[in-house]
Amino acid sequence: MNHKNALTPWLFIGPAVLLLIAFSLLPILVSLLISFTDMNLIGLRNWDVISFVGFENFIALFQDSLFHRSIVNTLVYVSIGVPLVIVCSLSVALLLNYMTNKLFTFFRVLFYVPSITNIVAIAVVWGFLYNMDVGLFNYILNTLGFGKVPWLEHPFIAKISLIILAVWKGIGINMLIYLAALQSIPRSYYEAADMDGANKLQKLRYITIPSLSYATFFVTVTTLIGWLQFFEEPFVMTGGGPLDGTMSMALFIYESGFQYNDFGYAAAASLILFVFIIVATLIQFTFNKSKEN
Amino acid sequence: MTFKKSLVMVAGVLAIAGCGNDNDTSGEEANDGDTVTLDVWAMGEEGNALGSFVEAFENEHDNVEVNVQAIPWGNAHETLLTAVASGNGPDVLQLGTTWVAEFAGAGAFLDLSEYADEYDVISNDDFFEGALDTTVYDDGVYGVPWYVDTRVLFYRTDILEEHGFSEPPQNWEDMLEVSRSLADRGEGMYGYDIDQNDQLVPPIFAWQNGWEFNEEEAEENFSDPAFREAMEYYHTFFNEELVQVTEGVPIEQGFEEGSKPMFSSGPWMVNILRDSAPDIDGDWDVAMLPGSERNASAIGGSHLSVFAETEHVEESLAFITYMSQPETQIEWFKETNALPARQSAWDNEELQQDEKLAVFGDQLEEAVAPPVLNQWENVAQDLLSSLERINRGGADLDEELDDFQQNAARRLN
Amino acid sequence: MKNRFEKLFVTSVLVVGGFLVSIPFIWMILSSFKPEREARMMPPTFWPQEFTFEHYINLFTNLNFGTYFINTMIIVLFAMFGLLFNTMAGYGFAKFKFKGKEVVFLGVLATMMIPAQVSMIPVYLLLNQMGLTNTMAGIILPGLIAAFNIFLIRQFMTTIPNELIESARIDGAKEFRIFFQIIIPLSKPIIAVQAILTFVGAWNSFLWPLIVANDQALYTLSVGLALLQGQHSSSFALQMAGATVMVIPVLILFLIVQRYIVEGFNTTGIK
Repeated sequence: MNHKNALTPWLFIGPAVLLLIAFSLLPILVSLLISFTDMNLIGLRNWDVISFVGFENFIALFQDSLFHRSIVNTLVYVSIGVPLVIVCSLSVALLLNYMTNKLFTFFRVLFYVPSITNIVAIAVVWGFLYNMDVGLFNYILNTLGFGKVPWLEHPFIAKISLIILAVWKGIGINMLIYLAALQSIPRSYYEAADMDGANKLQKLRYITIPSLSYATFFVTVTTLIGWLQFFEEPFVMTGGGPLDGTMSMALFIYESGFQYNDFGYAAAASLILFVFIIVATLIQFTFNKSKEN
Repeated sequence: MTFKKSLVMVAGVLAIAGCGNDNDTSGEEANDGDTVTLDVWAMGEEGNALGSFVEAFENEHDNVEVNVQAIPWGNAHETLLTAVASGNGPDVLQLGTTWVAEFAGAGAFLDLSEYADEYDVISNDDFFEGALDTTVYDDGVYGVPWYVDTRVLFYRTDILEEHGFSEPPQNWEDMLEVSRSLADRGEGMYGYDIDQNDQLVPPIFAWQNGWEFNEEEAEENFSDPAFREAMEYYHTFFNEELVQVTEGVPIEQGFEEGSKPMFSSGPWMVNILRDSAPDIDGDWDVAMLPGSERNASAIGGSHLSVFAETEHVEESLAFITYMSQPETQIEWFKETNALPARQSAWDNEELQQDEKLAVFGDQLEEAVAPPVLNQWENVAQDLLSSLERINRGGADLDEELDDFQQNAARRLN
Repeated sequence: MKNRFEKLFVTSVLVVGGFLVSIPFIWMILSSFKPEREARMMPPTFWPQEFTFEHYINLFTNLNFGTYFINTMIIVLFAMFGLLFNTMAGYGFAKFKFKGKEVVFLGVLATMMIPAQVSMIPVYLLLNQMGLTNTMAGIILPGLIAAFNIFLIRQFMTTIPNELIESARIDGAKEFRIFFQIIIPLSKPIIAVQAILTFVGAWNSFLWPLIVANDQALYTLSVGLALLQGQHSSSFALQMAGATVMVIPVLILFLIVQRYIVEGFNTTGIK
């Protein structure tokens, strides 16, 4: 675009970028630097005793079976959870966009509240739903003649249970984003389609979804980043169990850093997580660009 | 380039960018005259209560003003870490007994042993022995016991009686017998309850079996037959389904309904049961934990420690002295139900008359302190994971414990 | 072309779905009126068997409500400045071409890629170096800018036609005037979304007020609520009452702002 002064864009992005550099980027660089050290609590207090240990932390991580498991678990979370979140929040947004009367305002509130429900309440209610012996889900299954499902008591099923919970929680924000995006689709597109005699599905397929692609791109990238850092759900629901079946990379990092004060090790694990995330993000950006061109 | 140098460079850039100053913000510049402001950190609800409780101390010491900052329990560890990292912390702080090793090892607290001559509360043997044990790290003394807790056996007198047990189980065999008999009542009925995420439970069993952790022997401690036997005993409860392996209902509810007629927990549970299960008032009691060699339990609670960077050592120690007087401890008990760490405080009538409390008093004398060791947390967590694999995953007990021992060797050496 | 059957179908799907999805939320509110014992019961009761206001009374008598509320509102206020910076930056990335744009933007995104706890201690040390511990500035600054918001704004502003900006420039409008008078009104829906997200984040501020403050006078409502928990004896119903009180302003704001989200197309002139 044409603008006379080369400084203009910097006036817009400057304040935000400076603050981000100071309070996010530099601290992150410092913590990544820590990944090559043996920093622990003693080192935290007295930096003189910290020494660089090269790739020792990384070598130890590659031998740590718990870390391997956390990677596998995280990949399971992401590959099931991310598509689900996108499909669910888009569907909800489309339904909610159907009308704008008072009733639908109320519905919008209903679908938004999971994202602002207190985490303790979430833990208790879902803990009950998933309880193997007295839980509601198993009660319903039982009345229908099915057996007990070990929702949180089996390493693989527990992962699925946490995904369902996280999708439920993640719909709210993404639904809002889609709702906002739906407003920017010009009505004239639909009017033209109506004149061509297009049916609803065709309009959805050829107008709505393509017009939303910029929002879908945002939702995909941020959801993927968020889910690669899957943390809160296993933290409050299972603590990584049973048998480490729900241990995620972010929870692993938290435990090594904050429970065991092994900051170097935790930083090394977060560097690996960082590499996963940046690769995933770059792939999406490249893919998006080639699609645009 | 060392780590410190590279960090200093980054910090330097930032300091310029932010027009930084290196003022020590922990000092109290705003003092008028000779008044000293003493910053005290205490946790959660108890910390909130301390705010008004310290007025009596301030009245006694005109020149000291106490500023209590309460910190939520769930974030105490993080907050302490930032204080340690920056040296910008309080003067006195509440310190959980299990945190002594890690923070004292990092030099975060003042070694009080050099002040022991002046202040007789330091290492005073009127404190419960187990509580004193956790103040010592590497020959230094890093705290003065404030309050203590320990686990005892909670049991339903009525249900045990129904099944012919007029007394709570005294030893391991009794315990198994009672548990088996109660678990036999049918589907969904259990004898006992074990919190599988509680790091203290496995060591308690081991201590009951006469096991003692000896720092010099490192991982060899875990090849001790007394330890192995205790783990087998622990496993028996799961193997015979005397306890529930899955989550189930909250324990206070299971206890009330009778499906879990025995469990072990701390003094806080007494009030929870009184409040939340009034229907079974009078139908339950507490007893010392059954043991094989001894009726051991674990000791927990909190100490008061002095932050290494404090400029008010004298005032800090005066405050700690005040808090550990038997009379103050009794007052604090009345306020918060926290059990006094000083044995002489237990001579108080109110504490004497309450029979349930007396059991805690007795148990405290048999309470063992977990090793004050930097790596203990990791080792204890490894042990829980191993036991989970045995109980849930069907792993072989001996093989799994051998693995655990190998891991411990890596951590402890 | 919205026939009656379709309307009925959509409405009933939303009724059932909305109810199912919001059960935990409704249950959270209902539990705050239950006695502690009932609130902890498994299986839980839905409607309180015994109605009580004790937790709310407890909450307002034990919580230093005034101070915490003011602190929280200060943070919210400044977060709105942050929102402005985020929006400006999003616009800058969406509508300008300049050297190094892609690298800078990737750098912005990179700040989302490390779990927040990992950089917590370095940020604290930095604030300490700058003498910002125990100040409001120290509490506010770390959370002021969010890459998530910049990215969101950027995505939405790319849909604004360039011709609009160009013709304004030809008319001699200054850059910031274009931004405030043309771009912002056009972006109402997404700014409304941002406003909600920013408010929720600031309103619930917890970690930084706790870590940066050396004095309880700087605590926020969330921190104050967390202090009502004991080590072993935490009142569950009290927590629910606290959560309910905390969520009311969020709901009110949502109700006010959401109409800008869904009614955006009536006012925007995008073709």
